[in-house]
Amino acid sequence: MLKRFASFAILPLAAAAGGATANELNPDVSVTLDGYYKQNETALSHREQGFGLGHTELSLSSPIDDLFSGRLTAVFEEHDGDSEVLIEEAYLQTNGLPYALNVRAGRFLSQVGYLNGRHMHEDDFVERPAAYRAMLGSHYYDTGARLNVLLPTPFFWQVGAEAFAGDQLTEGEEDIGVYTVNTRLGGDISLSQSWQLGLSWLRNRHAKSAETGDGSHDHDHEEGHDHSHGAAYTGENLYIADLVWKWSPDGNNREQQLTLSGEYLYADELNQFAASDDTNEGWYVSGVYQFAPQWSAGVRYGEVDLQEAHGDHFHNQTLEETDVMLSWSRSHFSTVRLQYTHQEAAGFSNADNTVMVQYVMSLGAHGAHGY
Amino acid sequence: MGTDMTLRNAVAALLLIVTAVPAQAQLRVFACEPEWAALVRALVPDAELTTATSHLQDPHYIEARPSLIAAVRRADIAVCTGASLEAGWLPMLLQRASNPDIQAGRPGLFFAADHAQLHAPHDHVDRSMGDVHPEGNPHVHLSPDQLPEIVRALAKRLGEIEPERAVAIQGRYIRWRGDWNGLRAEWRARAEALRGQSVVVQHSNFGYLLRWLGVETAADLEPKPGLPPSASHLSQLLANPELEDANAILIASYQDPQPGEWLAEQTGLPVVVVPGTVTGEAPADTLGGLISEIIRQVESAAAGASHDGV
Repeated sequence: MLKRFASFAILPLAAAAGGATANELNPDVSVTLDGYYKQNETALSHREQGFGLGHTELSLSSPIDDLFSGRLTAVFEEHDGDSEVLIEEAYLQTNGLPYALNVRAGRFLSQVGYLNGRHMHEDDFVERPAAYRAMLGSHYYDTGARLNVLLPTPFFWQVGAEAFAGDQLTEGEEDIGVYTVNTRLGGDISLSQSWQLGLSWLRNRHAKSAETGDGSHDHDHEEGHDHSHGAAYTGENLYIADLVWKWSPDGNNREQQLTLSGEYLYADELNQFAASDDTNEGWYVSGVYQFAPQWSAGVRYGEVDLQEAHGDHFHNQTLEETDVMLSWSRSHFSTVRLQYTHQEAAGFSNADNTVMVQYVMSLGAHGAHGY
Repeated sequence: MGTDMTLRNAVAALLLIVTAVPAQAQLRVFACEPEWAALVRALVPDAELTTATSHLQDPHYIEARPSLIAAVRRADIAVCTGASLEAGWLPMLLQRASNPDIQAGRPGLFFAADHAQLHAPHDHVDRSMGDVHPEGNPHVHLSPDQLPEIVRALAKRLGEIEPERAVAIQGRYIRWRGDWNGLRAEWRARAEALRGQSVVVQHSNFGYLLRWLGVETAADLEPKPGLPPSASHLSQLLANPELEDANAILIASYQDPQPGEWLAEQTGLPVVVVPGTVTGEAPADTLGGLISEIIRQVESAAAGASHDGV
């Protein structure tokens, strides 16, 4: 008891000796500025043509006491002149429960898939793959609770479950609209190579009662992705498999790193009118090579095969998307990116090719990144 | 019957523990950098060690890989530098591993920098200064005068985690301390000849040792701390009059040697590549051996340079 108190007492003293901690009790503040120029409108995109602001975030985070820490992230967006503030994260998180249990409660990003749990400013491309934009609204966050456990195996093996209100994905009546189950395995192959495999299942109990439109055929395709973060293509079951492999010489990822990643998403039981062969499907593979400390180049290819609900029937839509990007980071906190996107589509009126220039700047505290 | 069995098992287990002290579970240690792994090995030779980084890796930029999360999950104690050196990855490891013993403020998380007087702490830091740590220079493992205090605190902490081995750990600490004092006297004597020499560096990772030796830093290849050397900065360096007095360009083995080699071509200075931390191989397999090796390399570069001068 005394010992624990002593180590508590020493930490702030030691830090204060460094003179750096005048406002140690204030939360860490971080701001992400994301702006872009986009040459043409593209299908399934959350970014409009021309100059625009992307995912502008203000985030506060701090330990609450020795057991809890918390984070609040607000996202500022502007669409057609309307400003909106979205609460993307407002959660508490436990630090070190017995048996390596880990609880998160409040609003947070679901951990399904590889990209979904990551912050958008960590991404290597301007937008998430088409499969994510269509089936998860780029990133699915909601209000609920999560329980994870890290098994005491010699390799990394995490099992977790989440329960959410579900309304951020599909509006509905159920109190608990979404459940997810997720497992993740990973390890090192050698000093220079590491990997992670994830399997996820998302159960959307609101899917069957989802609004399916009036079935009129002059339906405006824009309406399906009106920049709300709800996913436009949902199903009662969403299955995701993801695999990541990273390589850097001697494991020194400061100098060079190659990251290959891919995900496959499959949704069925799309709504009350869906037949058993009506499914949404999408996948992507991405390769990003950081060839110098400040430079990265990457290629990504992805496809989606979707069913757009029109009242009691569906219209099939497909999109093939190829992205090529080059990015330069002056420091760990600033990135400027040039990207070319090529789209080939059926059933989308606004598919096009486009050049984009984007900056992502990080101000203030910069949290540690995940794998 | 059940109680009887349990009791008998308990007695048997107790006997086993009492009689077989050396066969008890190994202490599992997660070391953020190899220098701390080497010190733990000196204090607890049979500890099961996982080292997150090697001398070929830049400890500022490691990823919170799945294997490291699993290792923190299993560890009894994590031994790290602190002072924000691992700010980019350690908090993520601690959070993902959710090991109740290894969390901020608990005895299972040991930061060396908490037991040292760091050089150049800053009251005001902003990012235009580069990646400056407000707490001061965290590369304190090469400070001959500060290590004894760090190792003393580490021995004390390891003894708290493993009370039944505290005496043995304390004994090994005293032996280590004696060896270190001997080495330090030897380095002190060798420093006399090096006093007033100067070297070009890349980042401040040898700062504590160079200052202790009285070797000056003529220039830094990094334009700002943490930013890789740029062509414009290197060409500015060429005009720096302090380069005239430099004896060598000192680079750590995890750093890109090209900027240093370019400057070497322009100036004729030798490039000296030394490990920034303990490696798996002699002579740099202990911290004492590493410091002796760095001093030897700086000496030979200085001797070579003065030779050229004659």
